[in-house]
Amino acid sequence: MAEMIKGNHAISEAAIRYGARLYAGYPITPSTEIMEYLSWRMPEVGGTFVQAESELAGINMVIGGAACGVRSFTASSGPGISLKQEGITQLYDEELAAVIINVVRYGNGIGTLYTAQCDYLRETRGGGNGDYRAIVLCPESIQEAVELVGLAFDLADKYRTVAVLMTEGALGQMMEPCTLPDFIETKRAPWGFDGKYSYKKVGIFDRDSMKEAVLMNEKHNAIKANEQRWEDENLEDADYVFVAFGLPGRSTKGAVKKLQEEGNKVGFIRPITAWPFPEEAFKKINPNVKGLITVEANATGQLVEDVALTVKKVLRADIPVYSLPYVYGIPAMKTIKADYKKIVDGEIKEVF
Amino acid sequence: MNEIVFAGFGGQGVLTSGLIISSIAVSKGLNATWIPSYGSAMRGGTANCTVKFGKEMIYNPAQEEPNLLLAMNTPSFNKFIDIIAPGGTVVINTDMVSTEANTRDDITIVEVPCNSIANEMNHPKGANIVMSGVIIKLLNEFTEEEAIDGMNEMFNKKGKGKFQEMNTKAMKIGFDFVK
Repeated sequence: MAEMIKGNHAISEAAIRYGARLYAGYPITPSTEIMEYLSWRMPEVGGTFVQAESELAGINMVIGGAACGVRSFTASSGPGISLKQEGITQLYDEELAAVIINVVRYGNGIGTLYTAQCDYLRETRGGGNGDYRAIVLCPESIQEAVELVGLAFDLADKYRTVAVLMTEGALGQMMEPCTLPDFIETKRAPWGFDGKYSYKKVGIFDRDSMKEAVLMNEKHNAIKANEQRWEDENLEDADYVFVAFGLPGRSTKGAVKKLQEEGNKVGFIRPITAWPFPEEAFKKINPNVKGLITVEANATGQLVEDVALTVKKVLRADIPVYSLPYVYGIPAMKTIKADYKKIVDGEIKEVF
Repeated sequence: MNEIVFAGFGGQGVLTSGLIISSIAVSKGLNATWIPSYGSAMRGGTANCTVKFGKEMIYNPAQEEPNLLLAMNTPSFNKFIDIIAPGGTVVINTDMVSTEANTRDDITIVEVPCNSIANEMNHPKGANIVMSGVIIKLLNEFTEEEAIDGMNEMFNKKGKGKFQEMNTKAMKIGFDFVK
């Protein structure tokens, strides 16, 4: 039987069971329980746990673990993830598989401790230098978070890239019933260091950036073609389509159900991969749809940009795209319903 | 769907009380969520959690409109009284809560001197368990046996099984308090 478990603990145990054997990081609310759990759990399975002296040191230890072909990961929040960016772009550049967990909290700079989704653009665009992209997975429940931890490690290995689990403060702190996966057999990736200098050294001055650019685009295109994931409902018949992910996405699903019961023709897309963005879902949308509406836990509306770009690319029509940015927290279903009415009545204007 | 807010000072056991009831719900095969206020809380400050449970899917785990509030102190009563659903129930710790600020006449207030009760049974830390018993009886969703088994299982898994006898007694007293 499924048991009540805290989100951060479930994520940690899932990583162990999916074969992660190196964790290095630095604590920060609301992600700290991940480190705390791993501090005793990782040694139990013979893995390596390091409470590093800083986020920068932690991510560089992850580079070391990944270079040895060991499933390696770190976790942090807002400003801590900012500090790790140099290492994340380096992981990508060296084609090292690693997983980054961002338990998102609200704000710029040092920010706040509120649960939020304000790091959407940073995570989906790649927050470090260069034009890399990381795979970004966003769970709506603790059960889905556990499953996405496994997917994150699998996709990181498959494409030799960085996969980010973009979860939220509230999902890390809350509890709900969850069934944990069985243990997989741990093995080191065949491309990891073998201690024999088997690989050609590539220095900064003898790279072929033109060739690397072609390979980078090929990798991104393969990920976009194969790895889009989402949940949707009632797109073919909808006058308005909601787009929302994570906990606000889950609340939006509830609001959509109630609006449908009251006779409104509405549907939803809940992205599970924020990058690659689930463009395929948009092909199912009613061509006569009156508008798309994002529900987001940030101040300015971020997801709305991807929705507008995808409407342009897939629907090829000038359809209004609205945004309901609730700043932080999880919007109440009744609030989403009330704001939907304001959109229909013309009181809230479209963003695009 | 039930939505319950458990609120009080840090240390009064409100988060545990919420966990007891959500664990009992899960042991009966229901869906349940438990979500705390977290972060910049300090010792002596207020703490609260929201528990939702029911047969249906829980979309939003956060507070919307609780049908039951446990107020272990006056600040908690004052903070949440206005968001209780019409017809809802508020269980108050009369040893500590003043209802002076209350303007609602569409809710039921259940008065329980839980600190006194817990002190009398020589289990002063069991006031939250007494309240859990009261709430479970009021909810009328679980039998006394299901509640006690669910609670004891939860504490056993946390390695806190040694208080089982006292906790069982506290739960029963809470259960019997509601006529």
